[in-house]
Amino acid sequence: MRTPLACRTWLAVSLAAAPLTAQTLPIVEKTLSNGMRLVMVERHDQPTISLGWMARVGSADERPGMTGIAHLFEHMMFKGTRTIGTRDAKRDGELNDLQDQIQVGIREEMAILRERQRRGEITNMMDPKARTPRLQELIKAFDRLVEEQRGLVVKDEMDKIYSQAGGTGLNASTSQDRTFYITSLPSNKLELWMWLESDRLANPVFREFYSERDVILEERRQTLESRPGGIVGEAFNAMTWAANTYHWEVIGWPSDIAQVTREQANTFFATYYAPNNITAVLVGDFSPAQAAAQAERYFGRILANPKGVPELITLEPAQPAEQRMLAEVETTPSVQVEFKTVSAVHKDAAALQALAGILGGAPAFMSRPGAGGGRPPSGRLNKALVLEQKVATQASASFRGQKLGGTFSLRATPAPGKSPADLEPLLYAELARVAKDGVTEEELQRYKKATQVGLASRLETNAGIRETLAQYLAVGTVADFQAAQDRTLAVTREEVQRVARTCFPREGRNVLLTTRKEAKTPADDPLKRGPERMKKMEGK
Amino acid sequence: MFSRTALILALCAPCAFAQAIPSRPEQLTFAPLAFQVPRAKEHKAKLKNGIPVVLSVSEKESSPLVRVTVSWRGGAYLDPKGKEGLAQLFGAQLARGGTASLAPAQLDDRLETLAATLSSACGETTGSLSLQVLNRDLDAGLSLLLQVFQEPAFSQDRLDLAKRQQRQALSRRNDAVTSIAAYQMSYLLFGDSHFASADTTAPSLESITRADLLAFHGRLLHPANLVVTVSGQVDRKGILDQLNGGLGALKAGAQAQVSAAVPAPAFTRKPGIYVSDKDAPQAMVQWAFPGLRRSDPDWHAALVMNQVLGASGFTSRLMKKIRSDEGLTYGVRTALGPGPHWQGDLTGSMQTKNRSVAYALRLAMAEMQKLRDVAVPAEELQVIKDNLVEAFPSQWGSRQAVAGRLTEEVLLGAREDWWVDFREKVQAITPAEVQRLARQLLVPERLVILAVGKASEMEPGDPDHPVGLGEVAKLPLVRLPLRDALTLKPLN
Repeated sequence: MRTPLACRTWLAVSLAAAPLTAQTLPIVEKTLSNGMRLVMVERHDQPTISLGWMARVGSADERPGMTGIAHLFEHMMFKGTRTIGTRDAKRDGELNDLQDQIQVGIREEMAILRERQRRGEITNMMDPKARTPRLQELIKAFDRLVEEQRGLVVKDEMDKIYSQAGGTGLNASTSQDRTFYITSLPSNKLELWMWLESDRLANPVFREFYSERDVILEERRQTLESRPGGIVGEAFNAMTWAANTYHWEVIGWPSDIAQVTREQANTFFATYYAPNNITAVLVGDFSPAQAAAQAERYFGRILANPKGVPELITLEPAQPAEQRMLAEVETTPSVQVEFKTVSAVHKDAAALQALAGILGGAPAFMSRPGAGGGRPPSGRLNKALVLEQKVATQASASFRGQKLGGTFSLRATPAPGKSPADLEPLLYAELARVAKDGVTEEELQRYKKATQVGLASRLETNAGIRETLAQYLAVGTVADFQAAQDRTLAVTREEVQRVARTCFPREGRNVLLTTRKEAKTPADDPLKRGPERMKKMEGK
Repeated sequence: MFSRTALILALCAPCAFAQAIPSRPEQLTFAPLAFQVPRAKEHKAKLKNGIPVVLSVSEKESSPLVRVTVSWRGGAYLDPKGKEGLAQLFGAQLARGGTASLAPAQLDDRLETLAATLSSACGETTGSLSLQVLNRDLDAGLSLLLQVFQEPAFSQDRLDLAKRQQRQALSRRNDAVTSIAAYQMSYLLFGDSHFASADTTAPSLESITRADLLAFHGRLLHPANLVVTVSGQVDRKGILDQLNGGLGALKAGAQAQVSAAVPAPAFTRKPGIYVSDKDAPQAMVQWAFPGLRRSDPDWHAALVMNQVLGASGFTSRLMKKIRSDEGLTYGVRTALGPGPHWQGDLTGSMQTKNRSVAYALRLAMAEMQKLRDVAVPAEELQVIKDNLVEAFPSQWGSRQAVAGRLTEEVLLGAREDWWVDFREKVQAITPAEVQRLARQLLVPERLVILAVGKASEMEPGDPDHPVGLGEVAKLPLVRLPLRDALTLKPLN
């Protein structure tokens, strides 16, 4: 009894001594003459600069038949320009045109195969054995052109130049809402970034286009299809988002990835990669005034697209009925419940984030990326389901705010002897408890402090600052970095209780119950199993 | 696209500022940038009982966070037979199981009030307990760290939970090609009787008790096993005084032992092409050659050779060939293990659709052969060396990174300031040395290849590139049965 009492006194002192204040960054903003925006943070702790530029386009800007193009595009942006990546720009361009012509023929043959598959004459149009003789010929002719082009290509030249200059972390990523191209350089090499990045925005050439589609199909297999639960997750997401374009995964449907054309890519680039749809983020050891002048010189030469980008019109309608998915997967059983909620910049986002933090433990998005291995989340769900009732081995909650909307998720893994369905009502019960009684001031203060410490940790490195600012640029403006902190620190118990009452109607539930599917290997045949293994199976 | 590009060029040509842009990036010039490698001596201190401390601290640091880590020599190699998983469970439970005077929930409560993180983990040869705390809460945080480190309770309740979680994790072992490949490769490289392949099984997990964790703790608690690391916004003298008052007073307990040297495997590898059948849309392919130790005089040449081959992303040959040219994989990479305790391995891995496994492997083998047969062109070598040299400062890019790296060197017993001449040594490597190391290390007869995926599709290969899996190297093709997820006994 003595310890808990002492603990409480000590706690009161500690909270009182720790007023929470928002963290600020010396952000300098600048808009170039063509509308491209710069967000700069000067800090001289390390002789490096972390750099990135974001095109405000993602898979949500796609339509059926060309899903995955935003991401394919991200790959294509590394294939060079009229200057970078080729020894002979003229012949390279001719070869691209010839390849495109053959691809027209290939698409005609693929249309025939698609029709055969529709009529049940073949089962998989992508199977090499299903090809028509003409398709086989065209593929051979195409491969010959690729072979010739290979002789002219300076392989991954952009990587080579950055690499030799001491660049690290050259990469890009595509989400539903944005595409972000990043690298970090020694601080004396800022102009190199200006040169290479403005060159690929001004003069890109999408060479090696068609083989890159194969790379993406491999990426899809690696990151989605061969991950246990991967394709079920894709289907669950598609069930959850009915109307808006979050319906498909960023990587796209496999049928579409295999058929994207260079022409589609060109149109996509002209629409979305104009400078007035791009914001660059520069963080580190440099002078913002000099960088802005340099950026005007390099990026300012690119023409704006006065038409701007098409507005996304479709709004996700309110979900009229609960939706459930029952899946068998080779993995540990689990239950996942998702509610569609508000966007990341909505005035209720901070309250939903706080609710997720209090139910699920410290919010993952605030912690240092890749930290891992810390303590398990000690939110209410973990305390109730895992530690006290012992019906689950993991239980968590999260809020993911995106540009067009957000999702609030509850997840749990049943303990041995319990099923996912057993846990589902317990998740709702914890939500209902907040709706009825609210959260305590102590829980809310702890949550706020955890988010501030998590943020301080992210803001320790140039790359961490870049990623943090990018997170807000993807859904709003750089002003949302400060606004989100202010709102987080201002959230009240009443607001948390209000969102718990209003955001989770029964008909808004999307439920995924996953049970274990046993692998079909001979060894799993019960007749061939040894007695020891049989016994273990019974114990499950 | 082409019309749009041409338009931009036409419009820009008359602009005055556009003319100032050089036509190639090589024409840019850059101011020199000096970087001094952090010296071990300036970052090291000793507590009064001899425990080394590595510090990267400054009161002027802008971040309000301080990190304190206690690391130890000792890990899975000390697990008694039949109790595989003990060190790992010890690592996971140290920070979670409460202390002699605080129940786990009370400990969690105190940490949450501080918004501090206390985490622990133990690997094969070392482990650590780490605190992250606001500098104004450092005293309270340090006292919790010390309590946990010196008097952990390993609460039975939390231990039972961890075992339930761990058992679930074990049951997933055959669910993905990646996790299957991990255990299969360790058996192929280290045999059945070395700790490197002795993974946790359901029976070994079941047998681990609270008393085992306490005994493991008692055994490690010797000043000679420990290293302390501090980074962040704190005064050097102040933190050293504080540490001396706590960990500096630690004496070896009755059960404490100086951790023994890590044993090398005594196993003769059987080179071959091993196939594990798993119904999956994409296969995991791995391979390994015997490598060398970081203390070897040829290390830098081997490192550069490995970067040319596959460790430098898109500037490496395997990535260019197998991904960029052929579109066969999302990524292929090689790694040169530093072999801190015995000769390391030069390993490679990639994932590709089942039918492409044989062809992708043949391409990889051809690239390795080329490195043996033909000296690497000077220009290509220069790109690889410049990258290692120019990117070197970024590896020391924060206080945490400097402290972490220097701590690792102490734990591994590496020669002090080994990194100081790293850049000079790399820059001195010649094409002839790269070729010599390729010939020395990339020996096909010593190769162990593992492919986990759908065997019926992997073995015949791709109709577009007819090569069977058995033909990619002059080595026996061997079917390797999966092992039971819980017991790791081969399934037949």
